[in-house]
Amino acid sequence: MLKVTDLHVRVEDKQILNGLDLEVRPGEVHAIMGPNGSGKSTLVQVMAGREGYEVTRGSVTFNGKDLLSMPAEERAREGVFLAFQYPVEIPGVNNVYLLKAALNAIRKHRGEAEVDAFEFLALVREKMKLMQMDESFLNRGVNEGFSGGEKKRNEILQMAVLEPSLALLDETDSGLDIDALRVVANGVNSLRRADRSIVMVTHYQRLLDYIEPDHVHVLSGGRILKSGDKSLALELEKRGYDWIKQAAA
Amino acid sequence: MTALAQTALPASLERIRQAFEARNYPDDALTAWRRAALERFLARGFPTQRDERWKYTNLRRLESRAFTPADSAAVARTTAHELSGVTHRIVFVDGHCMPSLSNQAAQPPGVTVISLGQWIKRDPNAVAALLTEVGIDTESPFENLNAAFLEDGVVIDVAPNTVWDEPVYVVHEWQTSGRMAQPRIIVRLGEHSRCTLIEHYVGGEDTESFTNAVVTISAAAGANMRHYRLQQESAKGFHLSTVRTRIARDARYSSHEIALGASLGRSDVAALLEGPGADAKLRGLFTPAATQHLDNYTRIEHIAAHTTSEEEYRGIADGRGRGVFNGKVKVHPDAQKTDARQLSRNLLLSPTAEIDTKPELEIYANDVKCSHGATTGQLDATALFYLRSRGLDANQARMLLIRAFAESILETIEPQGLRAALEAWLSTRFGGTEVSA
Repeated sequence: MLKVTDLHVRVEDKQILNGLDLEVRPGEVHAIMGPNGSGKSTLVQVMAGREGYEVTRGSVTFNGKDLLSMPAEERAREGVFLAFQYPVEIPGVNNVYLLKAALNAIRKHRGEAEVDAFEFLALVREKMKLMQMDESFLNRGVNEGFSGGEKKRNEILQMAVLEPSLALLDETDSGLDIDALRVVANGVNSLRRADRSIVMVTHYQRLLDYIEPDHVHVLSGGRILKSGDKSLALELEKRGYDWIKQAAA
Repeated sequence: MTALAQTALPASLERIRQAFEARNYPDDALTAWRRAALERFLARGFPTQRDERWKYTNLRRLESRAFTPADSAAVARTTAHELSGVTHRIVFVDGHCMPSLSNQAAQPPGVTVISLGQWIKRDPNAVAALLTEVGIDTESPFENLNAAFLEDGVVIDVAPNTVWDEPVYVVHEWQTSGRMAQPRIIVRLGEHSRCTLIEHYVGGEDTESFTNAVVTISAAAGANMRHYRLQQESAKGFHLSTVRTRIARDARYSSHEIALGASLGRSDVAALLEGPGADAKLRGLFTPAATQHLDNYTRIEHIAAHTTSEEEYRGIADGRGRGVFNGKVKVHPDAQKTDARQLSRNLLLSPTAEIDTKPELEIYANDVKCSHGATTGQLDATALFYLRSRGLDANQARMLLIRAFAESILETIEPQGLRAALEAWLSTRFGGTEVSA
C-alpha cells in the first residue's frame, strides 16, 4: 500500500530525513517512535503534502502511484488522511460545512455522486457518538475554541467520516488526559480494517497500550534505526533511545 | 461673493463654478442655500493630504476630471434592481429619481418617503427650509459640494412609535459617463420608531462617473435605525459619501459600509451619541483590488454619558489595491461610563496590496472603557494546508478562508436578500469555482 524508499528531506538548509525506508501493507498499524527532532513529524507532513519540505532523494508510492507528485488535496482524495498534531482553528468555517465539502471532494474524485443531506447527517451523528462529541460542535467554527482533547477528537471524527485507506496520526496522543486518550484510541481502533493502514507517530509508549501496533520503528537522525514488534516499544520505555543509537553507530 | 468670483480660481474649482452657473438654477431660497454652499466649497477647495483626515487619499485624479450634472436621466437600458425580499425600491439613474423604475409598496401610516427632486419642483422654498433645519457640516468640503448641486434625493420620515421593518431600498445607477451626481438622503426617525435603509450604488460598465452622496440621519429617543450602504460603482468611477447620524437618548444606529467598486472610493461616517444610552455599531467591509483605492473614515463622538459604540471594519486587498481605515473615537468630558470598542482587521492577498489602518482615540473623560485593535495579515498557510489535506482544492480553500474572514461582517447583515447578493459577489470575485457542500 505505502512504500517509502530512501527518502531524503530537507527543510530550508537542514537535512531532516536521511534515507528512510518504510513499507506498510494493507491493514497494518505502524508506530514510529523516536526522540524529539528525529524527523517523525516531517515524515507524515511530507506524506500529506505540506509545502516547505524539499525531497532531495527517494520516493513514496501509495497504491503504486507516486504520492510526492500529487498536490495535498489529491493525496486526500486518493485516501490519505493526516490527523494533525496541532489541529488548526478556522473561525468562520463551520465543522459540518468542512466535513461535507471534504467528503464530497473525495466522492467526486471517485466518480460518486454528492452525499445525500440526510444520509450525511445520519453518518456524522453516528460518528460523533463514537467520539463522544456533542452535536453542538457541528455548527461551531472548525476547532474554534475547542480544548486540546476536543481538537484531537475532531480529527478522528473527520477520519471516521472520510474513511481514508491510509491514516497518518501525528502525535495524536500528545496533550490528552487518560480519559480523552481512551476515547481517541477507541475511535481509531474502531476504524481498523483489513484494507486500512495506520501510521502513527508518537513520543510516548503509552499510546501503544491503547492502539496496538503490528510494527514499531525507531527513528533517529532521519533514519529508521531499528524495527520490531510491540515489545520494542516496551524496551524503549525501559531503556530509552540511547542504546539503539549506540548499537547503530 | 463677487470678490471671490473675481479671484482667479484653480482650474479644478473654476470647472465646478462653471458647472454651477450652467445649471441656471431659478432665483429662490433653495438656490441661495446652494450658492452659499458653493462659495464655501470654492473658498476651501478640495481637501489635500495635509489634512489628517485625508492623509492617505490623493484627490488629484478626481480634480483633473470635468464632471457635470446630467440634465435628466437618459435611460438607455433598465436593469432590474431586485433584491430578494425587498419591495420598497426607489431607483435613481444618473442622479435623477426615476418613478417609472421605482416600486413603492404602500407606505404604512406614519411613514413618508418623498423624492427630493419632485418636492423641489413643487415647493423649493419648503425644501430650503427643511435643508436649513437639517443643517450641514459647513466645514466639510463634500457636504458643501453636495449642497451646491443638490437636485434630488430622498426624504424619509418615520413618525414616533412607528415600526417599519421593510427596508427602503434606494438604488443609484450610472448609465452615462462624464457625469456627477450629488444625491442627498435625509432620514428622520421619531421617538421609538424603527426603520431600515439600504443604499446601493451601481456603476454601468466602464462608466466614468462621480457620485458624492450625503446622508443625514437623526434618531430621536429610543429610535432604531439600521443602515446599509453597498458601493459597486464601475472600475472607473469615483464615489464619495458622507453619513452623519445624530443619536438621541437610548436610540440605536447600526451601519454597514460595504465598498466593493469604484476606482477611488471614500466613505465618511460620523455617529454622534448625544443622549445617555445611545448606541452605535459601525461595520465595514472593503475589497480594494487591481488599482482600486478605497478609504474609510469614521468618527464616533461620545457626547453624553453611558453611551456605547462598537466598530469593526475588515479590508481584503488584492492586486495593487490600496485600502484605508481611519477610525476616530472621541469621548467628550461629560461622557463618563462610555464603552467604546474598535477593531480593524485586514487581509492582504498579494504582495503589492496595501492597507493602512489608523485608530485614533481622544478621551476627555476619566471613567470610560475604550479598546481598539488592528491587525493586517495574509491567509494562514497552515489553515490552507489543513483544508487541502481534507481534499478541498487550493481555490476552494482560499475562498473558504476569505469568506471566513468576512463572516463576522456578513453575519450581521439582516436583510437576507442583501446578504445573499454580497455572498454571491464574494464567491465570484474570490472563488472562481463554487464551493459545493
